[in-house]
Amino acid sequence: MAEPIVALDAAMPAPSRRPGRMTVEIRQTSPAGQKILIRGAGLLIGLAISVAILAWAGVGLGNLANEFVYAIFSDSRSVASVLIQMAPLLIAGLAACVAFRVRFWNIGIEGQMIFGSIAATLVAITDFGPPALRLVVMLMAAALGGMGWIFVPVALKLKLGISEVVSTLLLNYVALNFLLHLLYGSWQDPKSSFPHSEQYDAIERLSPLGWENVTLALPLALLLALLLWWALNISRFGFFTRFVHANPKMAKAIGIPVLGVTCAAALLSGALAGVAGFAISAGIEYRMTQSFFFGYGFSGILIAFLARNNPIGVIIVAFFVAILFVAGQSLQVFYQIPGAIVQLIQAIVVISVAAAEFFIRHRLKWTR
Amino acid sequence: MADFILNWLVVSPAFAVPFALAALGLIVAEKSGVLFLGAEGFMLVGAMTGAGALIVMGGHPLLALLAAMLAAALVSLIFAFLVVVLRVDQIIAGLSMVFLCQGLTSLISTQQGWTNRPISGLDPIALWPLSELPVLGRLLFHQDAVFYATIVIFIAFHWVSTRSLLGLRLKAVGENPDAADAAGVNVGLYRFGAVLCGAALIGLAGAYLSVGVAKIWVDGMAGGRGWIAIALVIFARWQPWRALAGAVLFGCIEALIPRIAAAGIQVPQYFMLMTPYVATLAVMIWAALLRSPRTGQPASLGTPFVREERR
Amino acid sequence: MTSALELSGISKSFDGFRAIAAADLDVRSGEVHALLGENGAGKSSLMNIVAGLYAPDEGTIRVQGRPVRIGGPLDARRLGIGMVHQHYKLVKSFSALENILLANPEGGFARGRATIDTALARLADSIGFTVDLTKPVGALSIAEQQRVEILKMLVGGARLLILDEPTAVLTDMEAERLLAMLRHLASEGAAVILVTHKLGDVMRHADRLTVMRNGKTIATATPGTLNAGELTKLVVGTTTTECAAPAQNVGAPVLSLTSVSSGGNGRRETLSDVTLRICSGEIYGLAGVGGNGQTELAEILMGVATAAAGRIMLEETVNITHAAPKTRRAKGLAVIPADRHSYGLASELSIADNYAIGDVYSGKYGGVLRMKSSVAQSAAGVAVAAHDVQGVRSLAHKAALLSGGNAQKLVIAREFAGAPRVILAHSPSRGLDVRAAAAVHARLRSARDGGAGILLISEDLDEILLLADRIGVMNRGRLVAEFAAPADRQAVGEAMVSHG
Repeated sequence: MAEPIVALDAAMPAPSRRPGRMTVEIRQTSPAGQKILIRGAGLLIGLAISVAILAWAGVGLGNLANEFVYAIFSDSRSVASVLIQMAPLLIAGLAACVAFRVRFWNIGIEGQMIFGSIAATLVAITDFGPPALRLVVMLMAAALGGMGWIFVPVALKLKLGISEVVSTLLLNYVALNFLLHLLYGSWQDPKSSFPHSEQYDAIERLSPLGWENVTLALPLALLLALLLWWALNISRFGFFTRFVHANPKMAKAIGIPVLGVTCAAALLSGALAGVAGFAISAGIEYRMTQSFFFGYGFSGILIAFLARNNPIGVIIVAFFVAILFVAGQSLQVFYQIPGAIVQLIQAIVVISVAAAEFFIRHRLKWTR
Repeated sequence: MADFILNWLVVSPAFAVPFALAALGLIVAEKSGVLFLGAEGFMLVGAMTGAGALIVMGGHPLLALLAAMLAAALVSLIFAFLVVVLRVDQIIAGLSMVFLCQGLTSLISTQQGWTNRPISGLDPIALWPLSELPVLGRLLFHQDAVFYATIVIFIAFHWVSTRSLLGLRLKAVGENPDAADAAGVNVGLYRFGAVLCGAALIGLAGAYLSVGVAKIWVDGMAGGRGWIAIALVIFARWQPWRALAGAVLFGCIEALIPRIAAAGIQVPQYFMLMTPYVATLAVMIWAALLRSPRTGQPASLGTPFVREERR
Repeated sequence: MTSALELSGISKSFDGFRAIAAADLDVRSGEVHALLGENGAGKSSLMNIVAGLYAPDEGTIRVQGRPVRIGGPLDARRLGIGMVHQHYKLVKSFSALENILLANPEGGFARGRATIDTALARLADSIGFTVDLTKPVGALSIAEQQRVEILKMLVGGARLLILDEPTAVLTDMEAERLLAMLRHLASEGAAVILVTHKLGDVMRHADRLTVMRNGKTIATATPGTLNAGELTKLVVGTTTTECAAPAQNVGAPVLSLTSVSSGGNGRRETLSDVTLRICSGEIYGLAGVGGNGQTELAEILMGVATAAAGRIMLEETVNITHAAPKTRRAKGLAVIPADRHSYGLASELSIADNYAIGDVYSGKYGGVLRMKSSVAQSAAGVAVAAHDVQGVRSLAHKAALLSGGNAQKLVIAREFAGAPRVILAHSPSRGLDVRAAAAVHARLRSARDGGAGILLISEDLDEILLLADRIGVMNRGRLVAEFAAPADRQAVGEAMVSHG
């Protein structure tokens, strides 16, 4: 025997006094009911935190119940305003959903909305095309505008490997400044000299459905949701996106055109975002304003996240986010709560649901 | 012309400091393997807290900066807990933090009436006799305390990362957490600490915007600088000195914008305002053409760590 | 003789799966103790418990006779326990010195480096090797990286050394040298645990051995008292011996590579000027130490990487050098990739999806506009049953839930569905137990006898010698030698490591 084996007394960890050890274990399955329960609990915790923050800001529980439930469901006009608000949110949610299906982090939905609206407004201002088809041309233009604006990040990611998170986001700022350039410049409303475009003509607006102020924007959004559901859940393209999402390496080796699928989904995302911009300009405001897009980018991400990238789920989540938007507006008016509260609540909800999902994918084990 | 250039260069450091500090904060956090997309949000937290602290407590602006760093670190506890302990997707968590901070700063500052209230800010400190040097004196030795601190912080970080066990472990955790773990390094603790320190630096960067430069708090005043800093870090391949060089470049670009208009050169205003973002993209493209954007990236960036994973 | 390490009643489960069930182990100072068992028997998990990485659910650990609790890697180190893991725990971008310092930080940064230098100088005599301390370890060979791991452990003063499958990645010669060194360390008083599934290593170098099967330690013995057959039976449970079965009907070439090179500048694994032909009805075994261009060759054949030069032909008429994976598959190429969870399966998707994707373009499972998932499900059900994929509770379950052997069977079920003409099998039995490996081998043989040409790439020389009708050897990206079966093991081994 050479040197003695470590100085035992000094080095030996005490055998019994220490408490046990908490270990985290990955788990592969958990029952469907449990998943729903865990996510539901996360949602509730997030909402509870939001309520607490609002209470701190001076909106009590009673007032909240009033703004979020009573005021909205008591008369048809408020219900209608939620449905009106829902249309662009739904489309923005779809835009996020299709991009996330191929792990393309499109954070530039707002920029693409701006360019969608700019393209549609260009058609409206120049009275391009036959009047009967004007709306369709505007819709196409909006889709192309949004698609064009996402094209650069898509190309940069696929060709050069540049993170789309940063590039799509930076382009939001560029798009915003370009919008302001137009609205404070050549596109300024000649009638009022306000920084927004002139009003769309009647044929350039999504027509009202005849109930309150709800316009064609809502059926359009629902139709898009159905189409996307088909594309992602029924068609072969959707089948491919599942593999691209789960394991792009394997997808490529097995013969899926990964580049093409990613590119198509990302461009579709941009096109949908462009249409969301069109839905606001042609379906709600009837002109292009300087902040029509505000907040939709993150809302789209939130909606797709909570709907787990399922277009049908997006419809449901978009409805609730629309309630939040509408209630947020009245909080702003009646309680001087800044509009950013909507973002705050959404962020809290995402965080708490994402945090709760820990318990779906892991198990805590206490060993002694 | 010489005057124009000198006046431009003299104000550039003030514009470069926020980029430099934010980029360094990001490097600190990301060296540990945590993808840190929340920079924009933490800059806002720092900016608002700095202004708020001055309004509420008065006192020396440096105390306000300290408060801002603390506040950003405090908020980053949420982020650290999410990504280190709960293993939440780091992109989702980072994005959510941006919007959480945007909402939070907007709400708090409105409630407290801090928005658009002018505050007393930092004064320049002349480092005599160096400040008497021609050109360089005004450029480098007649700046405020944060400018000098930034240089010290960069040197300190360089020392820690190349000459200490702390730096060795930090890098190991970001490169290969399994190896670090087997070597007895507490991966979670290091990542937690890195996020906190990183957020504090980013908070300082934000506070410098309100307390140091603008001397006022305005909603959303970070204006995308957090995102530009993220791009800078990729461009700098996670090397602090390259990041500092990038920050100086962007500081100069930003400082140039108001000067061009003032000099009577006719460029549409909003196109001028686009330049930082377009320049950032251009720099990223240029860097990517030279080398893959992943060069220098910590190998485990964005990957959560758990020990008892059975494969 | 004192026990350096005594484990009793150790149990550990992961996600409901009982990896270790009441295992006992007794290792003495001064011996090389082999821990023997099949892949998945629980050897590595048990050793990870000793090294402090896993916490046991139950059981007691004694070091030098005293009960201890090993709460983490630091505790293990303080107890003089060191482990070389199967996948090295090295920071690739760090130098060897930095890696050793990371694990042995006593004395701080500057002084620590000096201490390590002197420790290494002292150790160099007793272990008989040195390593380049300044290069990034990622640039070192596998054998050199292993040395860094061993030094890391010895500098820390480890007296209980655990090595997990240390010879798996070494050539025969390197393995002999390593085992001799371990013997020497044991003779100086250290206790060495050699985790392995190689019976030969055990018979020649171990003082005692313990056999694990299905998470249990089932026997402890001295090698001299058992013959190889008895030992095999202990390890596997039954005696299944595979015999070589040479090809009967070798036909025309189905895959030919002409002067294929991969891009990359002079790295060890860069493929250069590889020419080989595989005929229908034969298994061509490509042997070589890992990292000598096999992965590059496989990726180029799969179509996920492109050849910088050269030509690849299927059936002598179809040039697939630049064809997309889809085209290659349509022309009759099937692939069993090395890493099932990397190129083989989308683990998060269902078993049915993973099966159906293989033949999605045929329209069998629905057209472009509409996938018919029910058709895919039933086809997957039939294939899963035909290929004896066990553990499928539902076809809608994630593929991640399958064990290694069954996941491999699923890959094979998918790849063999279209009666392929050419099969690329890259380390098809890696990580499988003997029975699962035998099943995979039987599938390959029957595909060969059905007329397919098979390229078998494997680092396991035994597998190559067992299956291949012709053998090629890869060394530094080149095809350096070819042999006809039955080949001389010694000669093949020499070609694998020659520097010519």
